[in-house]
Amino acid sequence: MAGATRPTTVRERVSDADVSAGRLLLVAAGVLFWGWLLVSWVNRWLGGVVVPVGDPLVAPGLVEGALASLPALATYASDAAFVVQLTPNLAQGTWLTVVITGVSLVVGFFLAVPLAVARVYGRFSAWLSLAYTELLRGTPLLAQLFVLYYGLNLGRYVPGALSGVFPRDVVWVAILGFTLNGAAYQAEYIRGAVESVDEGQITAGRAIGLSKVESIYHVVLPQALRYAIPSWTNEFVYLIKYSSLAAFITVPELYYRADQVASETFRYTLIFVVTGAMYLALVITASKLMERVDDRVAIPGLGAARER
Amino acid sequence: MSDSDDGFLRVSDVSKWYGDEQVLHDVSFEMSRGDVTVLIGPSGSGKSTMLRCVNRLAEAQEGSILLDGEEVLSPDLDVDDLRREVGMVFQGFNLFAHLSAVGNVALGPRRVLGLSEREARERAEAQLERVGLGDQLDSYPAELSGGQQQRVGIARALAMEPKLMLFDEPTSALDPELIGEVLEVMHGLVDEGMTMLVVTHEMSFAREVADEIVFLDDGRVVERGPPDQLFERPEKERTGRFLERIASHD
Repeated sequence: MAGATRPTTVRERVSDADVSAGRLLLVAAGVLFWGWLLVSWVNRWLGGVVVPVGDPLVAPGLVEGALASLPALATYASDAAFVVQLTPNLAQGTWLTVVITGVSLVVGFFLAVPLAVARVYGRFSAWLSLAYTELLRGTPLLAQLFVLYYGLNLGRYVPGALSGVFPRDVVWVAILGFTLNGAAYQAEYIRGAVESVDEGQITAGRAIGLSKVESIYHVVLPQALRYAIPSWTNEFVYLIKYSSLAAFITVPELYYRADQVASETFRYTLIFVVTGAMYLALVITASKLMERVDDRVAIPGLGAARER
Repeated sequence: MSDSDDGFLRVSDVSKWYGDEQVLHDVSFEMSRGDVTVLIGPSGSGKSTMLRCVNRLAEAQEGSILLDGEEVLSPDLDVDDLRREVGMVFQGFNLFAHLSAVGNVALGPRRVLGLSEREARERAEAQLERVGLGDQLDSYPAELSGGQQQRVGIARALAMEPKLMLFDEPTSALDPELIGEVLEVMHGLVDEGMTMLVVTHEMSFAREVADEIVFLDDGRVVERGPPDQLFERPEKERTGRFLERIASHD
């Protein structure tokens, strides 16, 4: 937390009062979750250096035996073994979920900033930006994905250099869809932040001889993007969950794999509780990460309003 | 008052409208290099608008503004080039909220004049020293008092090495006890021979440093002249009434 002059934020007060046990538990869960994912991924990339590819990191039988020996947990032993059996599949699906979300978010951001700036400062471009945003926000994301994949069959056009990065070219189509759609939502959040930057800031930039574009780049955006972080985090979180729609164009990400196993085994509740918990873990990671970023780039006095 | 008119800044018959409303009516005055001209008048009289026409933050529709022989109002003029040479200090400071004091002052030299990071920082530090803020280089605007912020604002304008400085009510947003430090810096600039066009309600400052006072009312120049004449023997009744009212507030 920067600056002693800044009043304590609600967040700071809560974390001061934070029971360290709760914090410890969260950190432990995070380490376990990401440790498991990373080891699983690396194991697969390196062709099974830890365990054979496709095998869980821990033998299901071992887990089942351990739980069965504890009277209190014995009833859950077979369920636990079932879940452990699923873990390689889930880890592999999560990889695609993470990549699709991450790439779409980052590329979408670089589309969203000009869209937002055009909305606020453009004339003709403001209309273009508005039209784009309304179109992409106003139609179902699933319909957009269907048009891109089944309608336009964009999978055909994935260049050779990109093809082969993922198991299926359709992953690129999903990334394109989420990028285009996410950019529209991100642009709305960023636009709000750009509008909240005091007009005098750009005037002062112009007064020292910066052009309008330079003033926006050097003066308005550094402030606006800081203001935008908390609301922009919403889009990050939404996108993690929306990425599950890629399952409907056959991208083998987390939701797709969960659904596949569930329809084969009919253990819908167990599988989707576990899958839901994984999305939750990703979402908590994202919001914690953005909290960190927010604190890291904080400037005394800037964005104080949102913390009030 | 300068003895010879070198025509450094020549404002002739400037008129401006906001929609149907005319806010400036044929305003004319001139300044020589090193002059201090103070624009006074009631609020809404067009002083700030007139000031902003000089660096084209506001666009005059009619008339002529010659700065160093160049037509400021020419549509072919590169306004960014103009503003590089004309510094401006705002009533509300308008410091870049995300930059430290040094960052605020260095931005222009770095991005507009193309100095290196180090040169820009050195220049910024020198300018902040000049306004007495050598010990606040890395403070952010929110960590500075109003008077300190305005001095950063002045340093930011000075860092561009302008040939003309515009001050738009530089002390109006300040608590009374903070006005002195800003006026002191401005006094220093006068002593250094800076050419300054100032909009202010600080009549004692105007009286002390101005070579000429221009009294505007309702977008028109009612009267202009050296401070002694304007304050002691105003020719127009309107001027006298305004000065009386201001004086009773002091």
